[in-house]
Amino acid sequence: MIEVKEDELIRCPICEAVNIDKGKENECRRCGSSIYKHQTFQTEKSWAFLITAIIAYIPANLYPMLITKQFGATEGSTILGGVIMLWERGSYPIAAIIFFASIVIPVTKFLILFYLLISVKYPLGKDKKVNKHKLYYMTEVVGPWSMIDVFVVAILAALIHLANIEIVAGTAATAFALSVFFTLLAAHAFDVRLIKENK
Amino acid sequence: MKLENEDALDNLVICHRCHTLHKEITIEDGSKACCRECGTVLYRYDSRLAEHGLALSIAALIFFAVANFFPLVKIEILGHEQFITIPKTFVGLFDSGFYIVGLICSFLIFIFPLMIFSIYSVVFLLLKLRIGEKLSKELLVLLSHIMPWSMSDIFLISILVALVKLIGYAQIHMGIAFWALIAFVLLDLYVTRTIHVSEIWMLRKRVFLKEKPE
Repeated sequence: MIEVKEDELIRCPICEAVNIDKGKENECRRCGSSIYKHQTFQTEKSWAFLITAIIAYIPANLYPMLITKQFGATEGSTILGGVIMLWERGSYPIAAIIFFASIVIPVTKFLILFYLLISVKYPLGKDKKVNKHKLYYMTEVVGPWSMIDVFVVAILAALIHLANIEIVAGTAATAFALSVFFTLLAAHAFDVRLIKENK
Repeated sequence: MKLENEDALDNLVICHRCHTLHKEITIEDGSKACCRECGTVLYRYDSRLAEHGLALSIAALIFFAVANFFPLVKIEILGHEQFITIPKTFVGLFDSGFYIVGLICSFLIFIFPLMIFSIYSVVFLLLKLRIGEKLSKELLVLLSHIMPWSMSDIFLISILVALVKLIGYAQIHMGIAFWALIAFVLLDLYVTRTIHVSEIWMLRKRVFLKEKPE
C-alpha cells in the first residue's frame, strides 16, 4: 500500500498516464519519457522560446508578406496591408479570417503565455477565478491556426508564376513561420505542473 | 488516497483540459466517459478499437496518396493554365529560396501527417497481431510527439482562403486531390477526436497483459 496525496498526481504529457510526482526526476511509468525534468530552470526555456517568437513577430509585420510582380511593377503587401486591402475590396470574411489568424491569435497567445509564465512565479491573479489549465489548453488548440497566412502565401506563390504576373513570398513569411514555430515550442516547454503549485 | 501499487494508477484519469482527477469506471462498449467539470471526453471504450483504427488509418493513407499525386486546383489566367499539387507548394518555396518556410511547411503538411497515419496503421496492426510490445511503445511515444505538429486541416482552410483571394482574377477548377484532401482531413479529425492516444495505451496494456499472466 502506498499513500498519495491527490495533488501529487501528475499527468504524463506524452502518454497521458497518471504518475506520482516524485519531485526532481520524473520518469513516466508507462512510456518512459521524462516529465518536465528541468526543475532548476522551470520557466526559462519557455521564456526563451517566447521571446524569440516575439522578436520574430516584429519583422513579420514590418516586411512584405506577399510580393506581386505584375508587368514589371513590383508591389509588396504586409500582413496588415493585405487585410486592409481585402477589407476594402469587400471580402470581409476572408479579411476577418486573416486578421484573426495572423494578428489576434499570435498576440493573444503571447499575452496568455506571458501571463501564465509570470503568474506561476509571482502570486499574480491568485484569487481570480481563472482556470489556467483551460487557458493553456486554449492556446494549444488555437495556436497552430496562425499558420494560415503562411500556407496561403505558399499556395499563391506556387500557383501564380506566369510570364507577366508572379507572386513571390516575402521576407515576412520566414519571420512569421519562425514566430509561430517558436510560440508552439514555448507552449510545449511550459511546465503544466507549475500551475498547480501556485493555485 | 491509498493505492495498492503504482499500477493502480492506471485506474485514474486526469482530464487533459482542466486537470480534474477522475477514477476510471468500466463503461459499455461504444460509449464514452466525460469529465464532470468541463464535459470533455475522457476516454471511450471500443472492443474492436484495433480493427476500427486500422481500417480508418489505411483509408486515410489512401486518401493522402491521392491528395498528393493529383492536382489540387487548376487556375486559368489570361489563357495560361497552372495547377498545384501539395508537394509543389513547398517545393515552390524551396525554388524561390525560402528554405526555412519550405522546410517548416513540408513537415507540417506532408511529412508529419504521413508519419502519423503510418504510425497509426503500424501500431494497430501490431496490437491486432499481438506482437511488438517494445516497438509499439516507441511508436506511440513518437506519435504523441508529432501529433500537435500536423496541420492538414489548417492547410485545407488556407487553400479556400487563397482561392477566394483569386476569385475575379482567374478561373478556378478543383482537382481530384482537393476532394481527396477534404476526405483525408475529415478522417484525420475523426480519428484524432475519437481515438485518444491514452485509449491505444489502454488497449496495448490489455493486449500484452493477456499474453503473459504473472
